[in-house]
Amino acid sequence: MTTTQETRWIGVSAPRREDAPLIRGRGRYIADIEPAGTVHMAILRSPYAHARINGIDTAAAEALDGVHCVLTAADLEGIGDFPTIWRLPGQKESNTPALAPGKARYVGEPVAAVVADSRYMAEDALDLLDVDYEILDHVVDVEAALADGAPVINEDLGDNTIIEYTFPGINALGVAGDIEGAFEEADEIVSGRFKVGRYSGVALETRGLVADWDDLRQTLTLHSGSQVASLLRTELAAALGIPETSVRILTPNIGGAFGNQWDRYPEDILVSLASMKLGRPVKWIEDRREALQATVHGREQLQEWQLAASSDGTVLGLKGRVLSDQGAHLHSVGIGPAWVTGAAAVNQYKIANYHCDVVGVATNKTPNSTFRGFGGPEAMFGIERMMDKTARRLGIDPAELRRRNMIQADEFPYFSPGGAVYDSGNYPAALAKALEAVEYDKVREEQQSLRDQGVYRGIGIASYIHVSGFGPSAILGILDYYTGGYEGSTVKIDPHGRATLYTGMIPMGQGTETTLAQVAADHLEIDIANVRVVWGDTDQTPYTGFGSAGSRSNVAAVAVIKAIEQIKAKAVRIGAGLLEADPDDVAYADGRISVKGAEEMRSLTLADVAQQAYWAHKIPEGDQPTLEATYVYDPANFTTACGTHVAVVDVDIDTGKIDWVKYVVVDDAGTIINPLLVEGQIHGALSNGLGGAMLEEFVYDEETGQLLSSTLMDYLVPSFTDLPDFEIHHLVTPSPHTEGGFKGMGEAGCFPAAPALANAVADALSHLGVEVDQTPVTPSRLWSLIDQAGG
Amino acid sequence: MKPAAFDYSAPESIAEALDLLAEHGSGAKVLAGGQSLVPMLNFRLARPAHLIDVNGVDSLSYISANGTLRIGSMTRLTALGESGDVAGAHPIIPKAVAHIGHRAIRNRGTIGGSLAHNDPAAELPAVLMALDAEVTARSADGERVVGMQDLIEDRLFETTLGDTELLTEIRIPAAAASSTSGFQEFARRHGDFALAGVAAVITTDGSTITQAALGAFGGTHATRLPTAEAALLGAETGDAAFAAAGAGAAADFPATSDVHGTAEYRSHLINVLTVRALKEAAGNSGGGNG
Amino acid sequence: MAETMSVVLNVNGSGRAVSVEPRKTLADAIREDLGLTGTHLGCEHGVCGACTILLDGEVVRSCLLLAVQADGAEITTIEGIGAGDDLHPMQQAFSEYHGLQCGFCTPGMILAGIDVVSRNPDPTPQEIREEMGGNICRCTGYQKIVESVQAAAAVMSTEGGSA
Repeated sequence: MTTTQETRWIGVSAPRREDAPLIRGRGRYIADIEPAGTVHMAILRSPYAHARINGIDTAAAEALDGVHCVLTAADLEGIGDFPTIWRLPGQKESNTPALAPGKARYVGEPVAAVVADSRYMAEDALDLLDVDYEILDHVVDVEAALADGAPVINEDLGDNTIIEYTFPGINALGVAGDIEGAFEEADEIVSGRFKVGRYSGVALETRGLVADWDDLRQTLTLHSGSQVASLLRTELAAALGIPETSVRILTPNIGGAFGNQWDRYPEDILVSLASMKLGRPVKWIEDRREALQATVHGREQLQEWQLAASSDGTVLGLKGRVLSDQGAHLHSVGIGPAWVTGAAAVNQYKIANYHCDVVGVATNKTPNSTFRGFGGPEAMFGIERMMDKTARRLGIDPAELRRRNMIQADEFPYFSPGGAVYDSGNYPAALAKALEAVEYDKVREEQQSLRDQGVYRGIGIASYIHVSGFGPSAILGILDYYTGGYEGSTVKIDPHGRATLYTGMIPMGQGTETTLAQVAADHLEIDIANVRVVWGDTDQTPYTGFGSAGSRSNVAAVAVIKAIEQIKAKAVRIGAGLLEADPDDVAYADGRISVKGAEEMRSLTLADVAQQAYWAHKIPEGDQPTLEATYVYDPANFTTACGTHVAVVDVDIDTGKIDWVKYVVVDDAGTIINPLLVEGQIHGALSNGLGGAMLEEFVYDEETGQLLSSTLMDYLVPSFTDLPDFEIHHLVTPSPHTEGGFKGMGEAGCFPAAPALANAVADALSHLGVEVDQTPVTPSRLWSLIDQAGG
Repeated sequence: MKPAAFDYSAPESIAEALDLLAEHGSGAKVLAGGQSLVPMLNFRLARPAHLIDVNGVDSLSYISANGTLRIGSMTRLTALGESGDVAGAHPIIPKAVAHIGHRAIRNRGTIGGSLAHNDPAAELPAVLMALDAEVTARSADGERVVGMQDLIEDRLFETTLGDTELLTEIRIPAAAASSTSGFQEFARRHGDFALAGVAAVITTDGSTITQAALGAFGGTHATRLPTAEAALLGAETGDAAFAAAGAGAAADFPATSDVHGTAEYRSHLINVLTVRALKEAAGNSGGGNG
Repeated sequence: MAETMSVVLNVNGSGRAVSVEPRKTLADAIREDLGLTGTHLGCEHGVCGACTILLDGEVVRSCLLLAVQADGAEITTIEGIGAGDDLHPMQQAFSEYHGLQCGFCTPGMILAGIDVVSRNPDPTPQEIREEMGGNICRCTGYQKIVESVQAAAAVMSTEGGSA
C-alpha cells in the first residue's frame, strides 16, 4: 500500500534540521552536560583475562583528597543486574554484573569505581586501589573453549557451551527438508570454513552518562546515549530497586551508536548508584581505551558450511555449523546475532533443504552483542563466499550461478527455510542492474588483459537480504524475545495549526528528526517548517518496545502516519460541525478541511479547526477537546530490504595491498523518504562493513588473553583513503506490509560489503586458487595466502 | 585517560633547559612536539615528575644549508618537509616527511623529538641513518656529536642520550653529486606507522654503484642494511643487483610480529620495498640524491 | 594536586585567563574552563582528529597539547568559525552536501577542511582524501565530506573567503 495523495516531502532530499547546531559546534553531547555540583567517575578494569579477586584495598584511594566514594562489588548488595532480553529456549543465562563479583572474566571488566572532584583526580585514585588478583587459566579461542579441560568461564553454567540451537529447515508447508537426501543427490559438495572477525561500531563519541539523583523528589535523571531509553528506564529501575516512575532518561545528541548503544551496561547502574549514594550528579565519560575494551564487540563467528549442488548449478542443500564467540557474559541480546545468522543464511536463494546448528560459546573476551547488521553480515559472508566457491568449482560465472538460484519476483511472500518470511523484492532485477552498472562483461574482459600485464584485478559480487523492521511483537514472543516490537507516536496540533510529533525513536545521526518531520508534513499536508519533532525524554515521549535502530525508521514512520490519520479524521469531524456539513461530505486535503466539491467556498484551514478544538465550544459528540492523537504501531510483518553489490579491486601480489577500482551498489529499500539521507546511510553502513572486511579487528593474545587492539593505533578504522567512491542505484519495491511501503535500510549497506570484497580478492587471485575465508583481509594475511599458493 | 600530575618548566634558552635537566635528571622528560609523549602521558604510560617544555627555546628551531645541512632539533616536521633548502640538499627527506602522520601531527612534531622518541616504526631515524647524519647532544657539562647509528644502536623508544642531555641539532653531510635516493614504506593506512620501510641512497659511477646506504624501519629498531649495501657496492645497477640487495635486506631486517603483520610478512616486505626503493633511486637522476 | 598555573588563552579573538594544573590538556581547558564544548574528544591519543583546532593558524590536535603550552597563543575553535549567524562556506557545504551525520567529528572536519582549502584552493577529491586523512568519521564513509570540501572550496575561491 503506498500513499494515495501526491507527496511533497516524502522522496525529497529535505535539508537536515539536525545540522544547524552541529556545524556550529553547538551540538549537545553527554560530555557537554555538567549540572552544578557534578563529580566524576572513573572505573578500575580488570587487567587480566581471567582472575579471581580475593580482595580490594580501597583505603589509600578513599583517603585521597577530592575522592568522594569508592564502589566495589561489596557495595552492590541488593542491586540487580540487567537481564538478557533474548532468551532462546535452552540458552543458559549469565547476566552481566555491574562489578565483577569475585572473579573477572575479561580484560576491561569493571572491578571497582571511584568518584572524585575531577576525572583527573578519579584516575589518580584508581592508581591507589590495590586489588589482590589470583590469575586463572584463560581461553580466548572458541574451539579451545569447547575442548575438554578448557577453563570454565562461568562455573554456574557447567561448561562454556551457552546454547546449541538448531534450524531444521522448515519449509512453507511446515515440514523439514531432506538435507541428507540433497547431499546424496548432489553432483558436487562444496565446503567452506570461515572466520568472521571480531569488530564493532567504535563510535567516535565514546559512551557517557550523567546521573542526577534528587533525594527530596526521589527522582533519578539519567543523561544517556542509549538507543532504547524506554527499556533502559524499565530495567534500570528494577536493578536499582526503585519505582520506574522515579526514573527519567534524557538523551542528548549521540555521536554514533551503531547498535552498541542498544545494550544496557554496568556503568548505567554504577553512575546511578553513586549519585544516589552521594546525592549529587555523577558523570562518567568512557575513554577510548575503555571503549575498545568494554563497549560490546560484534560479529565474531567461526562458520563451517557445506553446499550440495547439481552440475547445472542448482543449489540442492546447505548445512552449517556456526560457533559464535560470545565473550565472557551474555549481554542484552544473548546469542541473538548468531541466531539471525542461522535464520538469514539462505539469503536470496531457493534452497529447499537447509540445516544449521548455532552454538553460543563463552570465552574470556568482551561480550559480543548488538552491532549494526546483527548477524546478517556474518550470514552474508558465509553464503556469498559459498556461492563463489561453488561457481568456481562448477566453472559457472558467479553472477550466473546466483541468477539460477534466486527467488523470483512473483514468489513472494516467500517462506524461507531459515524461518523468515520475505515480503517482496526483485532479486534478479537488482543483480542485473548491478552488473549493468559495473559493466560486468567489459570488466571481465579487462581483467584478462590486465592479468597479462601483471595487474591482478578481481570482481566480487554479493547479493543480500536484510530482514528489517523488527518486528511483530507476537513473533518476537515466539522467538522468546522479551520486549515488544512496536513503536509509538504522539502527534499534537497546537491552536495555530502547527504539529508537534513525539517519538520514542532516538536519533543517532541518521537524520530521524528530519525524516519523521517529512512523513508528518506529507500526511498532514502542511509545510515541514510547521512540524516539530520531540525525542529523547522518557517523561514526554512514547514507550518504545524495541528502541531505536538504523532499520526502525520505517516502523516509526507508520506510527506517525497512523496517528495523523486519527488527527485528520477528528479534524474532519470538528470541521464538519463548523462548516455545517455532514462529516461524510467533508474531506481533509492540502492541509484544509473542506466540503467536497465546494473547496473554494466552504473550507477551513487546519489552524481554524485546531483553534476551535482548543476552544472546545463545539466539539462533536463523542470527541474530546484539543487535537492530538497517539498511535502505537505493531508491525504486521518484517520487511525485507535487498540488493546486490559489486566490488572491483586490484591486488598487489607482492605486498597484499588491495586498491579500489570501483564499488557499485544496487539496493531496494522500498519507498525512500529522503534520498540524500538514504545515500548517507548506505555510505556509512558500507564504511562499517568494509572496515571489518579490511582493517578493523579486536585481536586477543592467545598466551596472555590480553586485548591487543586497545588503542586506535592498533584497532584501525577506515580513513579517507581507505574507502572508494560508491556508486549507488536504487530499485523500489514498496513493502506490501507497511503503510507508505518503507523498508528499514540503515544497516543494509554493511551486509554484502565483506563478501563482495573477499569475493573480489579471491577472484583477482583465482589463477593461484586463493580463497579468502577470514576477515579482515589484512595485507599480512593476504600475502601469506598468496605465498602459500606459490604466487 | 588523563595524565598523572607533574611539575612543568618552560625554559626559553638552551642553557636554562640544560640547567633544568641537570637538576631533575631521570625524573624529567623533555617535551618537544609532544605528538608521542602526550599520548603516553594521557595513557599514564609515561609518568615524569617534571616536564621540561622546550617549545619556547627559539634557538632550537632553524635550518641552515651551507655544505652540511644543520637542522635545529625543534624544527617542526611541516617546516622540514616544506623547506626548499632541505629538499634541494636531500629530497628524500620531504618524501619521508610526507608519510609521517597527518598535517596536524606534523605541525607540532619535531625532528629532534622523533629521533629522541625513537619509535622503531618511525621514518626519520632510518632516513637519517642512510644519510650518515650526526646529532649534537648538549648537557650542562658540554657538547658531543653522535652518529645516528651510535644514537640508536639497537634500541627502541629510547636512545643513547643521557638523562641530562638535550638533542640540539641534526647535521647531514652534503650528498655526493651523483647520488640518488628512493624511499618506500608500507603502512596499513596512509599516515600510519609503517609495517616496514626503507630509505635508499646510492651513488653510481656511470653504471657501477660506488656507494650505497640503506636505512630500514618497522622492525624492532631502525637499522642500516649492511648485507644489502654490500650486495650493491661494485655491482652494476639493475634488477640483478637490486634483487640481491632485497634478499640481503630481508636477512638484515630485525622483523617482528604484531597485530598488523607477521615477522615473515615484514621480512618479505622489506625485500620488496628495497627493490622498489632502489628502482626509484635508479630512475631518479640529476644528482644531489634527487 | 600539583599547583595550578595562570595562563591566557586567546580564543576566537578574545583573551581569557584561566588557572590550570600543568597536566591539563588544552582540549580539556577549552571545554571545561572556557565552556567551548564544540571541541570534542574522541580518542585522547591523537588519532581521531575530533579535537582539531587552529593554533596560531595551524591545525593541531588539542588533546596532544597542554593548556599551559598555549599561553598567549591564538586559538580558533569551531565556535570561532563563521560570523554570528552567518555560516562559513565550509559549514554551509557540510550541511548542503550531507557531510555530517552524528556531528561528533564535524567541528574537527570543518576546521581541517578550511585548513586544506587555505593551502590548496582547488583540491581534487584525491587531494582532499589524502590531506584530511587525519580526521576520522564513523558515519559518512567520507564521500560526502569530500564533496562538501570541494563545494566549499569553489565558494571560497569565488568569495576569496577564509577562516
